[in-house]
Amino acid sequence: MEEKNILTNENEVLLDTAPEVESAEAVVDTAEATVTAEIADESCETVEKETAESAEAVYEAAESETEAAESEIADAETEDTEVPLDRNVKLMSPMQMVIRRFFRSKLSIVGLVMIVSLFLFSFVGPLVYTRWGEIELDESGTVSYTTQEIEVVGEDGTVTIIKQTVERQEKDNYLAPPSKDHLLGTDEQGYDVFTRLMYGGRISLSVSFIAVLVITVLGVILGGIAGYFRGFVDNLIMRICDVLMCLPGIPILLIISTLLEAAEVDAKYRIYWLMVYLTLFSWPGTARLVRGQILSLREQEYMVAAEAMGYSTGRKIFKHLVPNVMPQLIVQMTLSLGSMILYEATLSYLNMGVKAPYAAWGTMINIISTNTDILQNNFNVWGAPGICIVIAVLGFNFVGDGLRDALDPKSRR
Amino acid sequence: MLKYILKRIGLAILILIGVSLIIYFLIRLMPVDFIQNKVNAMNQSNTVPADAVEKLYEMYGLDNSGFKGIVKGYFNWLGALAKLDLGKSFVDYAPVAEVIAKNMGISFAVALIATIFEFMIAIPLGITAATHQYSFRDYLVTVLAMIGISLPSFFFGQMLKNVFALQLGWFPSQGTLSGAGSATGLALIPDYLAHMFLPILTVVILSIGPRMRMTRTNMLEVMNSDYIRTARAKGLTETKVIYKHAFRNTLIPLVTTLAGLLPSLFSGAIITEQVFGLDGIGNIALNRMMQGDIPFIMGYNMFLAMLSVLGVLLSDLMYVIVDPRVKLD
Repeated sequence: MEEKNILTNENEVLLDTAPEVESAEAVVDTAEATVTAEIADESCETVEKETAESAEAVYEAAESETEAAESEIADAETEDTEVPLDRNVKLMSPMQMVIRRFFRSKLSIVGLVMIVSLFLFSFVGPLVYTRWGEIELDESGTVSYTTQEIEVVGEDGTVTIIKQTVERQEKDNYLAPPSKDHLLGTDEQGYDVFTRLMYGGRISLSVSFIAVLVITVLGVILGGIAGYFRGFVDNLIMRICDVLMCLPGIPILLIISTLLEAAEVDAKYRIYWLMVYLTLFSWPGTARLVRGQILSLREQEYMVAAEAMGYSTGRKIFKHLVPNVMPQLIVQMTLSLGSMILYEATLSYLNMGVKAPYAAWGTMINIISTNTDILQNNFNVWGAPGICIVIAVLGFNFVGDGLRDALDPKSRR
Repeated sequence: MLKYILKRIGLAILILIGVSLIIYFLIRLMPVDFIQNKVNAMNQSNTVPADAVEKLYEMYGLDNSGFKGIVKGYFNWLGALAKLDLGKSFVDYAPVAEVIAKNMGISFAVALIATIFEFMIAIPLGITAATHQYSFRDYLVTVLAMIGISLPSFFFGQMLKNVFALQLGWFPSQGTLSGAGSATGLALIPDYLAHMFLPILTVVILSIGPRMRMTRTNMLEVMNSDYIRTARAKGLTETKVIYKHAFRNTLIPLVTTLAGLLPSLFSGAIITEQVFGLDGIGNIALNRMMQGDIPFIMGYNMFLAMLSVLGVLLSDLMYVIVDPRVKLD
């Protein structure tokens, strides 16, 4: 398992060695951990190889490895100068390198800023901006007068025109333009759009987090089992995956939504239930990813070592195999956060998710599917939630993409 | 090869049976009951006798909602499906297959034109992004692709509708045909196209992202391979290297996805069609779903499942055909 690999560029040094360790126990825990040396020069670019193991394992390894690495650096064939490398070398854990690479990309920083600001807006916002509540109507409506002309045909056939003034008392201040009192105006009911945007964000963000979490847990367990045991179990789980992947998404969710309606689930929690059912159909993607990775990982030497140590199956799967799938899994999770937000918004737009009076970004756009007046004249009512959706999804996609590049051992930038 | 195909078809049938099980049981649990709705509507004058209602239920195989009844109903339905009979739609009083076939045309036209444009735009952009990796052009393409992926179809569709149909008035905002003219036959085509323009634009912009990224990734992979270096070392021009050597190999995944896409051209875009009021299969399905047209929902969902099974099958077969390196077990 010793593999020395030194790449020397003008200002790039990479040391990639499997750790030297004394006990077999440690072999299992630190296997595949990488020691990467980097010249202390801040301007230099580092080239990294090898998949990063889980952070803890690496930290464990890093301590015991410093010595080993130093001796190996001396052993390694370096065509360079005689300067003792260890002086110019700064050890970085793979985790640190991933973070460094992540923040090197401007897009991922932009994405992170987008997500963090949306989170602050939705979860802290309502605590700060308490002018209006989520379902608080603005009842400061105005009285308007309209004059109508009414034609009255008399008995003898003469037409008299009577002018009639109608007083219209509107209790609710609906479709108000943006003002100091309503930062984004009010919607067709008289709710404050800005406030509902914050509450809607709470739902959209929390719902997608829950969904992705459940999908990942299901996918890791089932994919892990399938990849580890292979044979019949694998076949069974993969065929179930095939079936679930062939189910049409939106139509099935529409059916489930009517089922929930019949079960009289509270309007506030309906979307959570809907997303739980969505997860039941969405885990195959994650399961396939995990299975594919585990199929290749289980042939590695450190798994043979784990076998030799007589570890339990559960420990082998979840302590040794799954952590190695983590990089791909994290990327997949981030990207599916975006798609879950889109799913939730679409369902709400079809009036299947969160229903009035409660707010969700999709629900706030729902009105324009029937009312073209608002579509044409009140961009503040439906444009704002739409932009929020785009920002959220785009943010998660940027971050996911940045993570993919940062975690990809093949990427050289 | 024949054995492989037969094996895959067998598997596809197995998958479809699984899908049908799930869909049937879900739908039988559905409370929206078209017959009940209808009877209620008719019953305002108390004209429908109870036994007639029962007869209706029996006719549609929905009389017994216990577990046994549902199982029996499932097998009856499956038997009919084996004879390619999807049942009769409640709303249209016509065979489901007929309703689907009737409304598929417009959906197919939108999807086909959109796919053609999508590939025509995405492939060149993907190639330039790959050949100019990490340049401004690459970033621009990547960001635009991401934005396309992140746009919700309903929001983007409504925005296009607002700007181009309602504010500028360039295109009709609703429907499939204006109907005002007395034109028939070929003269109707411009009218159709005017109504289809915005839906097609929506679909193209939303789905161009993944295609572009795929082209870029594949192209990058190929550009890093040894034979490209050899081609450059031979002194070939860069255009020749890119289009004669590299691009040919990126065609493999492109052709396989295209094969996989073919069946989905028939499935209809539910949201886009709803936004633009297009009478495609997606919009019809959405309406029927709200009305509780059980045979239609069953039929439509099975139709979609068949299309996706067929898509996977086609793309796998295409992969074997196109890529000589792939060997069958």
